Amino acid sequence: MDVCFYFQLHQPRRVRRYQVFDIGSGSSYFDDVRNADTLRRVATRCYLPATRMLTELARNEGARVAMSVSGVLLEQLASTSPETIESLQVLVASGGAELLSETSHHSLASRQNMDEFAVQVTLHRAMMRRTFGVTPRVFRNTELIVSDALTPLVASLGFDAMLVEGADAVLGWQSPNYVYASTTAPLMRLLPRNYRLSDDVAFRFGARDWSEWPLTADKYAAWIAANNGDVVNVFMDFETFGEHQDAGSGILDFLRALPGALRKNGVTMVTPSELAKRKPAGLLSFPNATSWADTERDVSAWLGNGLQYAAHARLYGLRDAVLASGNSELVSTWRQLSTSDHFYYMSTKWHADGDVHTYFSPYANPYDAYISFMNVLRDVEQRLGTAPRQLKTADRRPQTADRSRAATAKPKTADRRPQTAPRANGKRGNREAKTAGRSKKAKVRKK
Amino acid sequence: MRVLMFGWEYPPYAAGGLATATISLAAGLARLGHPVTLVVPFPAAADGGGVRVVSASDVSPNLRTLRVASRLTPYTSPVSAATAAATAVPAARAPWARRAEPSAYRETLFEDVDDYATAARQIAALHAHDIIHAHDWMAYAAGKAARDVSGAPLVAHIHATEHDRSGEGRNAEILRRERDGLRDADRVIANSHLTKRHVVGEYGVDERLVDVVHWGIERPVIGDVRLPSPFGRTAPIVAFVGRVVMQKGPDYFIEAAAKVAAVHPTVCFVVAGTGDMLPRLFDRCIELGIAHRVYFTGGLSHPDIDRLYRMATVVVMPSVSEPFGLVALESLRAGTPVIVSKASGVTEAVANLITVDFWDVNDIADKMLAVITDPALARELRARARDELGDSHLGPDEPARLTAASFAAALAGHQTMAVT
Repeated sequence: MDVCFYFQLHQPRRVRRYQVFDIGSGSSYFDDVRNADTLRRVATRCYLPATRMLTELARNEGARVAMSVSGVLLEQLASTSPETIESLQVLVASGGAELLSETSHHSLASRQNMDEFAVQVTLHRAMMRRTFGVTPRVFRNTELIVSDALTPLVASLGFDAMLVEGADAVLGWQSPNYVYASTTAPLMRLLPRNYRLSDDVAFRFGARDWSEWPLTADKYAAWIAANNGDVVNVFMDFETFGEHQDAGSGILDFLRALPGALRKNGVTMVTPSELAKRKPAGLLSFPNATSWADTERDVSAWLGNGLQYAAHARLYGLRDAVLASGNSELVSTWRQLSTSDHFYYMSTKWHADGDVHTYFSPYANPYDAYISFMNVLRDVEQRLGTAPRQLKTADRRPQTADRSRAATAKPKTADRRPQTAPRANGKRGNREAKTAGRSKKAKVRKK
Repeated sequence: MRVLMFGWEYPPYAAGGLATATISLAAGLARLGHPVTLVVPFPAAADGGGVRVVSASDVSPNLRTLRVASRLTPYTSPVSAATAAATAVPAARAPWARRAEPSAYRETLFEDVDDYATAARQIAALHAHDIIHAHDWMAYAAGKAARDVSGAPLVAHIHATEHDRSGEGRNAEILRRERDGLRDADRVIANSHLTKRHVVGEYGVDERLVDVVHWGIERPVIGDVRLPSPFGRTAPIVAFVGRVVMQKGPDYFIEAAAKVAAVHPTVCFVVAGTGDMLPRLFDRCIELGIAHRVYFTGGLSHPDIDRLYRMATVVVMPSVSEPFGLVALESLRAGTPVIVSKASGVTEAVANLITVDFWDVNDIADKMLAVITDPALARELRARARDELGDSHLGPDEPARLTAASFAAALAGHQTMAVT
């Protein structure tokens, strides 16, 4: 029996509580302080210790895993935690981690705009080459989102295999413990996640009310060995190690003991590109978009309610104008807004999985997330000059006595705004000059 | 269980959530098969004492109402006299507004409370009952008097504490009566966990004796029941519904309204309710230059409030302190999204609300604008809240069911004590 571990590293650049009164002010869309704090915390608790441990395990025990690092995380690490990047580079160079490809901004582009999807994949590939000197051959889409329409496109972008969710609805009677091919792209290998064994670590590891608690590396390796099939695919967030499951739960000790325990149980660690060379055991079809999220295993966590549709459509409606603007800072910001987490925070699934949504959200509720995001998009529109109407225009037919009043009342609305900031109708060049500096600051958070 | 309830009558012009809630709870208990004798202070003080039985057979054969002449109304306070007269003159009136009478007020508030207790003693002797249920501090003395007569357990229901009603200006005598009434009761029902925390924390009531019963509401009506804005199709209404007192944060509403009016050319604001802060609000609206955009209706009858909900695009409750916030449920039921203070008990029961810090005027204004300018947001809030109101935990009989369970616990505890 083989096992394939894959860990995802991602933190969005979180949008701050951006109010309508911030529009046109030139202030940052992002919660820079919170993003940096979170990134430092996750780096200290998880990225650095776990990466170093994997390097050690690779050197001493030949452990091998797969990882992918979102571009939006990499950008933020560059300024907030460069030592994390170095640590990852050492791990990759040691042969302990195979890097996978994904969209540069952990976006939902595959659900909205295939051109943008291809661009973001290309961008990410370039980042991997630049930062790590490797060119990934295996793709994993944001949150393992896949559909029959997507697999041919991924194949055409030059990938041999793709990670997918081993959803019951897709597999039917088939086991997730084999390599499959796509019905719509027969050369494309599909590696389905074994969600039970993945969630045993990612969700249940620290749960004291779980009948199997505490989970030891030996016990876990024995479970894997006892599975039928060729390979068990264990995919999860890298943040599991030290962040989602804190160090006090023993998760890092578990990780350290795992390669030895696997060997003892006759389980071999393999990587996705090795699996991509294997013959498929059968075909898998994804007529509906499938992901690894929530109990539904669909895309409803990000695109499941009217708010999410409206926000996502409005964002992509700006794409052509943003690209045509020739303003690289604006293009970069727009891509950062495409990160899936922004839409995840707008989810109104209140029950069961909704708890997970609330737990990870920087907002009081999904409506706050939506309102902030839409205000940001209005600001982008104003910068582009495509705003359908200027909200901040004064009353066009004011009662005469009131005109002066309205004018004097106005500055009060701006008490959070620098007095020098241009208004909605201000000179665009000026505002862009002001905002150009802000992309240098890194921001982040976990999802 | 035969229930003797000391509560508040459904008023012709709504003073707030308490009277509405009391009558619906009494009706709910009656529907569950518990005969209820509801004793309510009768506002016509000139009637001069005595008890009148009012036919309530249209509600349920199990419910009858006794009206006791008294000047008590749910929200009278001994310090509001000076402003009571001033509150009767709204600056502007919405076209559908009807005038409400200023609330009855007497300087002898505590005497009135004691008179109510004396009447309660007589009533308790005449009407057989197994449990006594008293709503808020003015009825606690009556409940206790009834218990002295019958020995039945007393359940004190708390809808708002004096801290909620009066903030820093709270009245020491009311505080004392409220605390004693709650500590003396066999069991306490709080209308939210927020209120329970106050009762346990401030008054030292044993938390094991405090049950939380959120309000429920009738199911939303199916189909489009929205009404057009009387100010025109392009003039959305942002409404404030509630007593115009410090506790409800109407001043924050006005400050936020000014910010919204500065950037939105047509929006109108309606303040429905009366209270001692009205004169100050009129002045402030003039100062801010938004007097022509803000309509003060005074107190409205319940059907008129319901019409207002249906006309409004959003209802805003920036309460400094809101033990529950029944207005939020009423508004959602009418299909109108609600922006509510985080310091509101209703946020424990309903998820699909927009929440704000009451003091964060920019945030309130931002969210008002978002709802009135973004149909997708309003639609989502409306649809989700409608789904949520269909859930059983907000059903109209749920409060009665939980209250009956609390009664049973009180009876059980009472019997245990009697044995020991």
